[in-house]
Amino acid sequence: MSVTLALVVGGLTSVGVYLITSRSLTRLLLGFALLGHAAVLALLAAGGEAGERPISGDAPVAELSDPLPQAFALTAIVISFGLTLFLLALARRQAQLTGDDLVEDDLEDRRIALETEAEGDDA
Amino acid sequence: MSHLVGVVAVLSLPNPRPAFVVALAAPLVSAAWAASKLSGGEVDTARLDWVEGLDLAFSFRVGPLGALLAVLVSGIGVLIFVYGHGYFGGGDRRGFAATLLAFSGSMLGLVWADDVWTLFLFWEATSVTSFLLVGTKSTDSTAVTAARRALLVTVAGGLVLLAGLLVLVDVAGTATLSEMGPVTGDQATVAAVLVLVGAFTKSAQLPFHVWLPGAMAAPTPVSAYLHSATMVKAGIVLIGVMHPVLGAVDIWSGLGVTVGLLTMFWGAIGALRHADAKLVLAWGTVSQLGLMTAMMSLGSGKAIFAAVSLVVAHAVFKAALFMAVGEIDIRTGSRDLRSLSGLRASMPVAFWVMVFAGLSMAGVPPLLGFPAKEAAIEASLNESGASGDLILAGVTIGSVLTVAYTTRLVLALFSDKGGEPTEVAPFRWAAAAPSVLLSVLGVVGYVLAPSVTDWVVPAAATLETKSAGYALLRWPGLDSTAFWISMGIVAGGAIIGAAAARHSSPPETVGANNVDRLVDRTLDLAKWITGRVQHGSLPIYLVVMALAASLAVIPFLGSIDADQLHAWDRPLQAGMGTTVVAAAIAVAVIRSRIGAALALGVVGLGVSALFLIQGAPDLALTQLLVETVIVVGFVIGLGGLTTQFPANGFVWRSVRIGTAVLAGAAVTAALLASAENTPSNREALVAVAVDEGGGNNLVNVILTDLRALDTLGEVVVLVVAAMGVLALSRADTARGGGAPLSDDVRKGRR
Repeated sequence: MSVTLALVVGGLTSVGVYLITSRSLTRLLLGFALLGHAAVLALLAAGGEAGERPISGDAPVAELSDPLPQAFALTAIVISFGLTLFLLALARRQAQLTGDDLVEDDLEDRRIALETEAEGDDA
Repeated sequence: MSHLVGVVAVLSLPNPRPAFVVALAAPLVSAAWAASKLSGGEVDTARLDWVEGLDLAFSFRVGPLGALLAVLVSGIGVLIFVYGHGYFGGGDRRGFAATLLAFSGSMLGLVWADDVWTLFLFWEATSVTSFLLVGTKSTDSTAVTAARRALLVTVAGGLVLLAGLLVLVDVAGTATLSEMGPVTGDQATVAAVLVLVGAFTKSAQLPFHVWLPGAMAAPTPVSAYLHSATMVKAGIVLIGVMHPVLGAVDIWSGLGVTVGLLTMFWGAIGALRHADAKLVLAWGTVSQLGLMTAMMSLGSGKAIFAAVSLVVAHAVFKAALFMAVGEIDIRTGSRDLRSLSGLRASMPVAFWVMVFAGLSMAGVPPLLGFPAKEAAIEASLNESGASGDLILAGVTIGSVLTVAYTTRLVLALFSDKGGEPTEVAPFRWAAAAPSVLLSVLGVVGYVLAPSVTDWVVPAAATLETKSAGYALLRWPGLDSTAFWISMGIVAGGAIIGAAAARHSSPPETVGANNVDRLVDRTLDLAKWITGRVQHGSLPIYLVVMALAASLAVIPFLGSIDADQLHAWDRPLQAGMGTTVVAAAIAVAVIRSRIGAALALGVVGLGVSALFLIQGAPDLALTQLLVETVIVVGFVIGLGGLTTQFPANGFVWRSVRIGTAVLAGAAVTAALLASAENTPSNREALVAVAVDEGGGNNLVNVILTDLRALDTLGEVVVLVVAAMGVLALSRADTARGGGAPLSDDVRKGRR
């Protein structure tokens, strides 16, 4: 396992987590994109050491990098691409409707929380 | 089985009027069947496999005890249905009749069960159906609270029982009751206590008696049934059935007798103080159950015999008493001992029913209650030593109070209070006949005591072989100590009862309130926790999740193997990796949206380069394409938004950074700890790809040939996402679609 790759994955995850805990839908979306990168790299890192491109005939079979994780990773890239674009559209729509792209608190949950706080004050 | 058919039949009746008549067919059949088994002595078994691998089965065994109890459950059930017909008069009672039938069927299943799990299932079924029955008047808040209380107490007890049964099955090595031998030891003690607690909740023993008096909020047919032959007897039956298995455990009889006698005493006190006739009876039931619990868990041959006799006698007289009080209730509209007046003249049938059933409850000859009570006293006399004296004293005091509250009830209910006699509605045969029959049965049972003995003795003997030699005595003779004690009890009780007839000051229903308060507190706590935990802020949820997920890595830290690690696959990896991380940090730091998007583009490019270095050109190409589209999308999609991200407070920011660092470290650690990959069989892949896939690019062949279906799914996902994006971005221009936006918002933002 390449320590560098592991560190890169960790770094991307860190920034990703930091961003998805933001209230701004745009940053959330940036965070998701970074987490997607992290996931794909993790797949690849778990797939073994670097090698020659997995095209038959280019190099001896033993020197080729493992194609199977790459196939998985390709799928992951495409799906996270779809997700990112969809979130983007959501953020844009939210901005059109409310003027900004902030994630609001769930109103029903807030109501329950406020109720119990009020009761606590009474007691 | 016939009960199940009956439930369906009643529910599917086109016409509501004969609901009760149809319903009583089922208990009639089972009562007749069980009666035919009474004296036979043979044992019927039935077994229906449920889950074979787990050795779960519905297993039944109808011996003398099962037959006797079934006669009680079904026989009184028939009378209850007749009574219900009279009690309710008209109206659609199909649902009620069906529930009552289901309840009666559950009770039968319980007394016939030969497998602890079968027993437990029916045990819970009676809890649930009785909940429905008690809460029949769903518009009445008292009834609903009472039903909830009954359900909570009995189901909580059911859980305790389940735990007890699990322990018991473990220690006994079998779940079949008839195969269990006596068990002792620590584990058996635990099982004994748990099973007893379960029985106490069902049979309303201290301190779980709180649900029973409240349960009389049910319609009287339900109360009469619940309090006499069913529900509350389940606990007694359980103690009896468990006697051969757990009776040898030290704590068994001590705990059972103590709680039973205390309950007998406290129940009688409650019955003496209430002014509502039905409540008096309910508390009386608590008291009687105490005596039965004490006798059943005492466990000597005589005591078991006495307990079974008491079960029979109590079922008969208590049902009659409830029915009579219910009849008074529906015909006068009141059950208040203080206000009802002149009923002796206006309701003679109810009066004589109450007198006979009451005398039976008090244990006066010539009624069935007398020999049963005698047996209990003799059983206490047989106990030696200080504990024996205590038991005798407890039974005696409890019995004196029993006579007292019975006397008080009958005297107060039928006395003339002066003034106008209470108005009485017309007589209904269906409401009166069953109670008359039951009170007559009390006398018949006394006269035919030898026959009753023939039924009771084999039943008791299945629990305790030493019970075989006893008999219900009509006349024990003047030289019998028990007889004189019995007479003393009657005399003393009658005096106290007559004196108490003029007073009533209902005790606080302390226990019941506590249960309700516990429920309210639990709900408040749940609400409080919900308020704290589910506060509605998405970022906080995510932080909590990330932290929890990070902690999950800890157990794997130990498996990091330094030998398998190397700094980088190729030196370039290090340079590119640094670039990627730096760009990622830039994404988070840059407060301008476009700037952040561009930084994301840099990350994407860096990742592509890493792919190339890793030997994955296809990935690199795809990533490049995707990244370009995303950056363009950002610029188009969010170009109009405020260009700066809002800043947030220092503390929250620190929490987020801390969580983020922890999550990153956790992921890195997890990766480092993961086992080395076994490479896929590349030779085979190459062969397949070239020969069958017809391509040299292995990744492409995997995606388009080997995993073609997956790729198709992936394409579908992309199409759906694209349609979503399209719909969302066109929503503001579509006529009538989207939410209305004021013009200034549009102008200002776009």
